[in-house]
Amino acid sequence: MIKVNHLKKSFGKNEVLKDINEEFSQGEVVVVIGPSGSGKSTFLRCLNLLEEPSDGEIVFEGTTLTGLNEKDLNQLRQKMGMVFQQFNLFPHKTAKQNLTIAPVKSKGVDKHQADQTAVKLLRQVGLGDKEDAYPASLSGGQQQRVAIARALAMDPDVMLFDEPTSALDPEMVGEVLKVMKDLAQSGMTMVVVTHEMGFAREVADRVLFMDDGYIVESGTPDMIFSNPKNERTQDFLSKVL
Amino acid sequence: MKKGIKGFIALLILFSTLFIPAEPVLAEDGSALQRVQDAGVLVVGTSADFPPFEFYAVVDGERQVVGMDMMIAQKVADDLGVELQIQDIGFDSLLPALEARNVDVVIAGMTPTAERRRSVDFSDIYFQTFQNIMIRAEDEDVYDSLESLSGLTVGVQSGSLQEDLAQQIPDAEIMSLTDLNDLLLALKTNRIEAIVMQGPNAEAHAGHDEDLHTFVGGFELDDDDQGSAIAFRQGEDSLVDAVNESLAEIEEQNLTEEYLAEAGEYMAQAELDEDGEEIEEGFIASYWEYFLDGTLITLLISASAVFFGLILGSLLALMRLSKVFLLKPLATAYVEFVRGTPLLIQVMFIYFASGMFFNLPALTAGIIAVSLNSGAYIAEIIRSGINSVNKGQDEAARSLGMSKNDSMRYIVFPQALKNIWPALGNEFITIIKESSIVSVIGVGELIFQTRVVRSISFQGILPLFITMLIYFALTFSLTKLLNFYEGRMNHD
Repeated sequence: MIKVNHLKKSFGKNEVLKDINEEFSQGEVVVVIGPSGSGKSTFLRCLNLLEEPSDGEIVFEGTTLTGLNEKDLNQLRQKMGMVFQQFNLFPHKTAKQNLTIAPVKSKGVDKHQADQTAVKLLRQVGLGDKEDAYPASLSGGQQQRVAIARALAMDPDVMLFDEPTSALDPEMVGEVLKVMKDLAQSGMTMVVVTHEMGFAREVADRVLFMDDGYIVESGTPDMIFSNPKNERTQDFLSKVL
Repeated sequence: MKKGIKGFIALLILFSTLFIPAEPVLAEDGSALQRVQDAGVLVVGTSADFPPFEFYAVVDGERQVVGMDMMIAQKVADDLGVELQIQDIGFDSLLPALEARNVDVVIAGMTPTAERRRSVDFSDIYFQTFQNIMIRAEDEDVYDSLESLSGLTVGVQSGSLQEDLAQQIPDAEIMSLTDLNDLLLALKTNRIEAIVMQGPNAEAHAGHDEDLHTFVGGFELDDDDQGSAIAFRQGEDSLVDAVNESLAEIEEQNLTEEYLAEAGEYMAQAELDEDGEEIEEGFIASYWEYFLDGTLITLLISASAVFFGLILGSLLALMRLSKVFLLKPLATAYVEFVRGTPLLIQVMFIYFASGMFFNLPALTAGIIAVSLNSGAYIAEIIRSGINSVNKGQDEAARSLGMSKNDSMRYIVFPQALKNIWPALGNEFITIIKESSIVSVIGVGELIFQTRVVRSISFQGILPLFITMLIYFALTFSLTKLLNFYEGRMNHD
C-alpha cells in the first residue's frame, strides 16, 4: 500500500532520515518505536509529504507522491488520515464541524450526508453527546478522539498516528488507545509512532525500531520485545520496559 | 494576487507622475476658452470661509456657497454661456488645485501678489480692498496702530497676503493658521493679541460679534496688494481675456456694490438668536444639516476605506507571506512606503496628481487615498494574525487533503481574524478619525462641515464640541459593535 524507497530527509545540515526502505501492506498495523530524535515523527510526516523528503520516493497505492503536483497530492492525502500529538482540532469549529469541513469543502460531499457521517463517527469514538461542543470545552482525551474521528471522516485507506497519547494526562491515555485498538480490529491500515509499548505489543502486527535516522530492526512484537537482535534495540528496550 | 499587482502598478503610475516635468503651458491659441465652452461648465475653486466674499447660506431651502465672489463667478459663467460649478477647497490648496487642473479658475478674494504671479496668471482687479487689524473689543483703547502691537503675537491665515503684511508690525511674533475661524478663536481665548485680516471680511466678523473690534491697519501696500483678482493657470490668455470683459462690465455698472449688499442679506440670515438660553437650541436647529451631511460623508469614507482596506490589506498580507518571485518584496515595499509617509501628503498627492490626467472627484480621491493608506496598516495586522495561528492548524487541514487556499480560507484566516480583532478595531477607529484629513481637498466630511458652520455662525467653540461628540458617538458605537462580534467569535 505504501512503499518507501531510499527516503532521506535533512533539516539544514542535520540529516534526520538517512536511508529508509520500508513497505506497509493493506490492513497491517505497524508501530514505530525508538529513542527521541531518532527520526520517527519525521518519517511519519514524510509519508503524506507534510515534510518534503530530501531524496528518495514515497509510493502510495501505486502513485509516486514525491514530485506530484499540488492538486493530485491533495487528492491522495484525503486517503491518508493523520492524528497529531497536539490534536490540532480547529478551535473555531464545533466537534461536528471539525469532522465535516474537509469532506464538504474539499471532497465535495453533500452537507447533509457529511453531518450524518460525522454523528456516526463521533458516536463510534464515544462522543455522541459532544457534537456541538467546541474543542476548548473538551478534555485532552476527548479532543484526541474527535481528531481521530475527523481523520476517519475523509474515509481514508490508511491512518498515520504521530505520538497520539504523548500530550495526554495519564488517565486519558486509555480511552484514546481503546479507540485505536477498535480501529485496528476493524481492519484499518495503521502506522503508529508511540511510546506506548503495551499498545505495540498487544495490537501491532509489526514493530519497527528506529535509531539515528535508520530503521534498525523490524519484526513481530514478540520478536522485538522478547528477542531483540540489535544491540541498540536491546539498549533502548532495557531503558523503557 | 492579480489584484494586488494591479494595485501596485497603479501606485507606480502615480509615482511616475513625480518625474513628469512641471513645464508651464506656453502661450496658446484660444484653446483654454474653447475647452471651457466645450465642457459647458466653468469649475470655480474657492474657500468658503470668507464672508462677505464666499460663505455658505441657505438659498431656497438649499445650502450653497454664496457671496460677492460667487455672484461674480455666476456673471462670468453666464457671459461665457456655460454652467457654473463651485468647488470649496481650503485656501492653502486652491493654487495647487488650479495648477493640477482640478479647477478652471480660482475666485477667492485672492490678492495678486508678485509671488503668486510667478505660478499663476491673474485677471484685472475686480475689487479694491483694504487691510485691517482685528482685536478683542476690550482692547479697543489699547491697540490702535501697527506700532501698538510691536513685539506681540499676531495671527494670520497661512499662505495669505496678510502673512506678508504682518511683517510690517515691528518685532511681532507671527502665528499662521489655515482656518480664519481658528484665528478668531485664538484671539478670543487670548492666545494672540491681533489678527491681520482682509478689510471687508474683518468688518463682517466684527459686525456679528460684539467681542471683536477692527480698524484699518495702515499697512504699506503695493498696488498689486490692494485688490482681489481671479487666478488662472499660466498661458490661458483666451480665458483671461474673456473673463476680463465680464469684469469690465461689472465695474462699468458698479455691480460689486449690489453684490455686497446681497451678500450682507445672506449674512444677516445666518445670524443667531441673541437670547442666551435659546442659543444652543437655535444653533442645532440651524445647522444640524451640516453636521448630518458631514457625518454621512465621514461614514461613507470610513466604511469604504475599511472595506477596500481589508481587501487590499489581505492581498498584501498574502503577498508578504507568499513564496512566489517578487510578490513579497513588492508588498513589503508598498507597506513600508505607505506607512512611512503622512496620510495628509498621500491625500493631496492623489488628488492633485490625478488632476493632471483626468478629473477625479475629491471624494473619490479621498476614499482611494484613505483606502490605500489603511490597506498598508491592515496588511501588517493580518500578517501578524496569520503568523499567530499555530502551524499545526494548517498541517491538520492539509493532512485532510484540503488545498492551500481552502486551508487559509476556512481554517487559518478565521482564527487569524479572531486574534487580530482588537487590533483591527483599533485601526477602524483610527480610520474614522483620520478620514478627516480629506477635508484639505474640499471633501465635505465632518471636519470640513464644522469649518463651514464655524464660518457662517461666527461661533468658534460650540461647533467643535458638537463635532467631538459626533466622533465619539461614531467610534463608541463601532467599539460596541466590534465587541459584540468578538464575543461571537470566542469559543474558548
